[in-house]
Amino acid sequence: MSAPAKAAYFGRTALLSMARAPFIHVVAVATIAIALTAYGLARMATAQVDKWAAAIAGEVEMTVYLADGTAPEEAEKLVKALTQQTQGQAKLVSPAEALGRLSESMGTFGQALEGLSKNPLPWSIELNVPPPSREPATLKTLAEQARALPMVTGVDYGEAALERLTALSKGLKWGSVLVFGLVFIITVVIVSAALQLAIHSRREEIEIQKLVGASDRFVRAPFLIEGLIQGALGAGLALAGLMALLAWLGPQANEWLRFLDVGGGPAWRPEWALEMLGLGAGLGFIGSLLAVRRFLRV
Amino acid sequence: MIQMFHVTKSYPGDPPVLRDIHLDIQKGEFVFLTGPSGAGKSTLLKLLFLAERATSGQVLISGKNIARLRESGVPYLRRNIGVVFQDFKLLKNRTVCDNVGFTLDVVGTPRDVVRQKVAQILKRVGLEHKIDVLPPKLSGGEQQRVVIARALVNDPAILLADEPTGNLDPALTLEIMDLLCDVNTRGTTVLVATHDASLIARYHKRTLRLERGTLVAEHDVGLKAAARMAAG
Ligand SMILES: Nc1ncnc2c1ncn2[C@@H]1O[C@H](COP(=O)(O)OP(=O)(O)OP(=O)(O)O)[C@@H](O)[C@H]1O
Ligand SMILES: [Mg+2]
Repeated sequence: MSAPAKAAYFGRTALLSMARAPFIHVVAVATIAIALTAYGLARMATAQVDKWAAAIAGEVEMTVYLADGTAPEEAEKLVKALTQQTQGQAKLVSPAEALGRLSESMGTFGQALEGLSKNPLPWSIELNVPPPSREPATLKTLAEQARALPMVTGVDYGEAALERLTALSKGLKWGSVLVFGLVFIITVVIVSAALQLAIHSRREEIEIQKLVGASDRFVRAPFLIEGLIQGALGAGLALAGLMALLAWLGPQANEWLRFLDVGGGPAWRPEWALEMLGLGAGLGFIGSLLAVRRFLRV
Repeated sequence: MIQMFHVTKSYPGDPPVLRDIHLDIQKGEFVFLTGPSGAGKSTLLKLLFLAERATSGQVLISGKNIARLRESGVPYLRRNIGVVFQDFKLLKNRTVCDNVGFTLDVVGTPRDVVRQKVAQILKRVGLEHKIDVLPPKLSGGEQQRVVIARALVNDPAILLADEPTGNLDPALTLEIMDLLCDVNTRGTTVLVATHDASLIARYHKRTLRLERGTLVAEHDVGLKAAARMAAG
């Protein structure tokens, strides 16, 4: 009648059952491990894209180009207005200053610019947008407002790149939900097929247990525990694989990412490990629950 | 303790295996159930631990009609009934200890207690030295005794034994019968299905006779047989 004795019995029975039919259990564990490895990779990829988006948004400088012959007072007024509206920093840049920077950034090719008889660059205002306004939507509104002004000929910011990254990040998230919905369903089906075989191979034992007074719950519990153990093993395997990959990739990834000036390499968060363990146990449990419900006619 | 009223059992598509059975077995009684092969002895026993359900009629255990017992109640019924199966139902890949221990496992008995109780009951059937052996390595008679041990390890209120001596030599048969009698004197109600007439003759017990699904004789068949043997 004691609960610990029952728990010990269930655990022993589950492990024994796994040891007696290793192949089907290896298949189930491997399936869970593969699904969760893919999940972990997707988690890291999404986080990386988010990081890039944040980094790019963090550098956003909006450049507002002014029409030729704009009065300096008008320009100063706009600088003040922009500063106030965004709580950021705005600065008036002269054509000469802009040309100087351009030629500098072009290196040796920049020297060619010095031969120009007339500076082709207009006056402009450079605006550094603070974090609260760095959202693509906010930036867009701000740019449209500026474009509407008569003295403004154009507005430039990392619009295209930022929007593309935001879209990519969203796409990745929704794509993941879809793909992993499917992957997890397939995993559950495979796990439940493995459990079906386990149930089948133990049908004689189940019959005898029932005849000597086992309740349905008593017969079912070891299979559910088997599912949980499979899920946890699969998650553990997936985690070990990902950690190994990260350790191996770590330094190289940093090299690749340096040009983006993001740094940090592929990020891993400890809570994802818990997430994966939970998912694995959940997948194993649901798989075994399905098998027990459908095939354990006790 | 065990009562049947108007009990009929038929398997789908076949004529009834048991017909209008009436019986009444008192608590603490020892009763033989006999009859030719195919008469329905095993089927009658199966109705008592709900391996089969009666098609009609009432089956009472301790005054409760189990013919209508809901599925969730079946395990509790079976924990009070030890059954010696005609076909043994031993797991080949589990030790004698595991096989006998099943009866205790299902009620959550700790492992060390299981082993201790199994060792005790094996001693009573003379198999204490075989506790860690796999059933295929036992003789037919030894396997039979393992099955009896499994039925008794739980100290059931009722023991149903289906041909418990079918595979034993005369000496062992007597030993096992003495064991069943001993169990009976300690308070367990015992119902033994057998077609072994010499057994019935030797032990003067109440005997029920089944023929083609009907109870044909009651009470003192065993005594009459004994008288016949004594006379002839
Ligand atoms: N599951 C079943 N389905 C259909 N018929 C069955 C089933 N089990 C038993 N029977 C039939 O019921 C009849 C009685 O069988 P039962 O096993 O009760 O006989 P028995 O008296 O125990 O015989 P024996 O002495 O040979 O063990 C037989 O004719 C058998 O064919
Ligand atoms: Mg029989």
